[in-house]
Amino acid sequence: MENTFRDQLKQIGETDLLIGIPSYNNVRTIGHVVRAVMGGLAKYFPKARAVIINSDGGSTDGTQEEVRRVQIEDYRTILTSHPVHPIHKIVTPYHGIPGKGSAFRVIFEAACILNAKACAVVDSDLRSITPEWVELLLRPIYEEGFDYVSPLYARHKFDGTITNSIVYPLTRALYGKRVRQPIGGDFGFCGKLAEFYLTKEVWETDVARFGIDIWMTTLAIAEGYKVCQSYLGAKIHDAKDPGSDLGPMFTQVVSSVFKLMEEYQDFWKEVRTTQPVPTFGFQYEVGLEPISVNVERMIRHFQLGVKDLMEIWRKALSLDTTRGLEWMARLSDEEFIFPQKLWVQIVYDFAIAYHHRTIHREHLIKSMIPLYLGKVASFVRESIESSASEVEKEIESLCQVFEEMKSSLIERWS
Amino acid sequence: MSEIWKAAIVDSFNRFLGKVLVFLPNLLAMVTILLVGVLIAWVVKRILIRFFKAIQFDNISERWGLARILSHRGISYSPTSLLARFFYWIIILIALILGINALEVAATQTLITQFFNFLPHLFAAIGILVIGYLIGVFLGQAALIAAVNAQMESARVLSLAVRWFITILSLTMGLYHLGIAEKVIVATFSITFGGIVLALAIAFGWGGRELAKEFLERFSRRGKGREEGPDKISHI
Repeated sequence: MENTFRDQLKQIGETDLLIGIPSYNNVRTIGHVVRAVMGGLAKYFPKARAVIINSDGGSTDGTQEEVRRVQIEDYRTILTSHPVHPIHKIVTPYHGIPGKGSAFRVIFEAACILNAKACAVVDSDLRSITPEWVELLLRPIYEEGFDYVSPLYARHKFDGTITNSIVYPLTRALYGKRVRQPIGGDFGFCGKLAEFYLTKEVWETDVARFGIDIWMTTLAIAEGYKVCQSYLGAKIHDAKDPGSDLGPMFTQVVSSVFKLMEEYQDFWKEVRTTQPVPTFGFQYEVGLEPISVNVERMIRHFQLGVKDLMEIWRKALSLDTTRGLEWMARLSDEEFIFPQKLWVQIVYDFAIAYHHRTIHREHLIKSMIPLYLGKVASFVRESIESSASEVEKEIESLCQVFEEMKSSLIERWS
Repeated sequence: MSEIWKAAIVDSFNRFLGKVLVFLPNLLAMVTILLVGVLIAWVVKRILIRFFKAIQFDNISERWGLARILSHRGISYSPTSLLARFFYWIIILIALILGINALEVAATQTLITQFFNFLPHLFAAIGILVIGYLIGVFLGQAALIAAVNAQMESARVLSLAVRWFITILSLTMGLYHLGIAEKVIVATFSITFGGIVLALAIAFGWGGRELAKEFLERFSRRGKGREEGPDKISHI
């Protein structure tokens, strides 16, 4: 942490609320995000002391200047009065591995120094954030006694495919809590949880990058903190996402999930059922922007994987599973389907291979990408005509398969 | 005459006895060295087997593809057993040489000195070969996965090229280290490698001009218009 940043925090003393905004070259959207956060604080927590911290990864497009510049000149325009206390705004660069997790680390440190009661983090590329998000992420902690708030969004049916096909079903089956968006990106948490996060030595791992979201959610559940979720409405973010390459994103998220499985194996082996978590917010339908998906390209990628990576997969997968994949590779684009049981078997087999170090771990996870794209292609093809609720039913059915097959995972985990 | 004859025989016998008496302690020393050597070799073998089992060397070898190569070559020993046996026989060999040295036979002395001078080079060369092979397997696998994820149709060819390049490089380095025809090896490697690169350059530049153009255009388009790609899916 920089000395000037520390001095700024010491000058502030203590705070009730803290909002962290990690950023990297988000000048197009961060102004809107900061305004929404300031509006939310003024509207819903006018008497609370609040600090906004922008933890920046060295933006070169003027992101930091934009955060400093943005103000709400007239609070009446958002139908609220001026907050009792001024809202402090601090812009600071973070150090260490470039990534979202490193940015969060600075926010956790600030929360501890300022003795913040309730904190929230929101992405800086959001176009759909409103002042209500601030209330929905902070109030369950500030007033309702919860420790961790996970987001719940209305998303396009083809959005969040790593979440829908791996992270949500697996996290739910393992840890027993139905947290629908465990890697949503916008979270609320209490000060003591921020302090707990800082006690962990994970800042040189994938947690410092895209693994931070699942790490925060899993720790909150497995360490027994009170977890809930808040419905925030539509999640629409800027098209330009600097870290949006699938490879690193997939590798960092999935390896974090598998690593956490090792850390909390004693916990999840005992979990037999799943429970819903309390949900705040008024749920409503939203119109979402259409998303174009090139299914044929995904199927070609999958088929190429079957042709060239089978030798590697055989070290992790059973004979029946590899036969299933070979059968799939022969299907035409129109017939292409990824059976749910086969997919769950693959995810569990890869988790076990990761645990047993059957193959170099990074190679293992990267070799899973063609399989994942095959699953996404099948999902898109099957649900092209489906409504949002039908897609949700399909995801629910996948979750149940993950839960049913968990016993086989426990048996082979050892 | 018989006295002279008798004296000659006795003298000869005494000289032989003297030589035997001088040689006998050396022989005993050799036998002792051999016995101790066998004992040490056996103990080292047991310790190594336990150590390799503790670090799960067989699993690691399986992961790196060593076990597969052994089975393909018809070797039925596990990598742990094979390595332990290797060190067992190395110690026996050293004990044998030390034993022969203890005999103090002039003809063997120079050979033994040369052998011991060569031994570190031999170990270093074996080390270079093994490490080179392992790096070749690792990078070959990494190249294969990266190429598949980049959707290259010739992923396997690229992977094999990476693997063989590193294996041949390590073989060259190993032979160079042993001092076997150093200049010939360096020249052969340089000519072969240079030839391959030149052949590929000509093949790609001349034979595949259109392909190269298409590839570069695609690469350039990707750099400029990333947002215009067909997939706007958000994975997380």
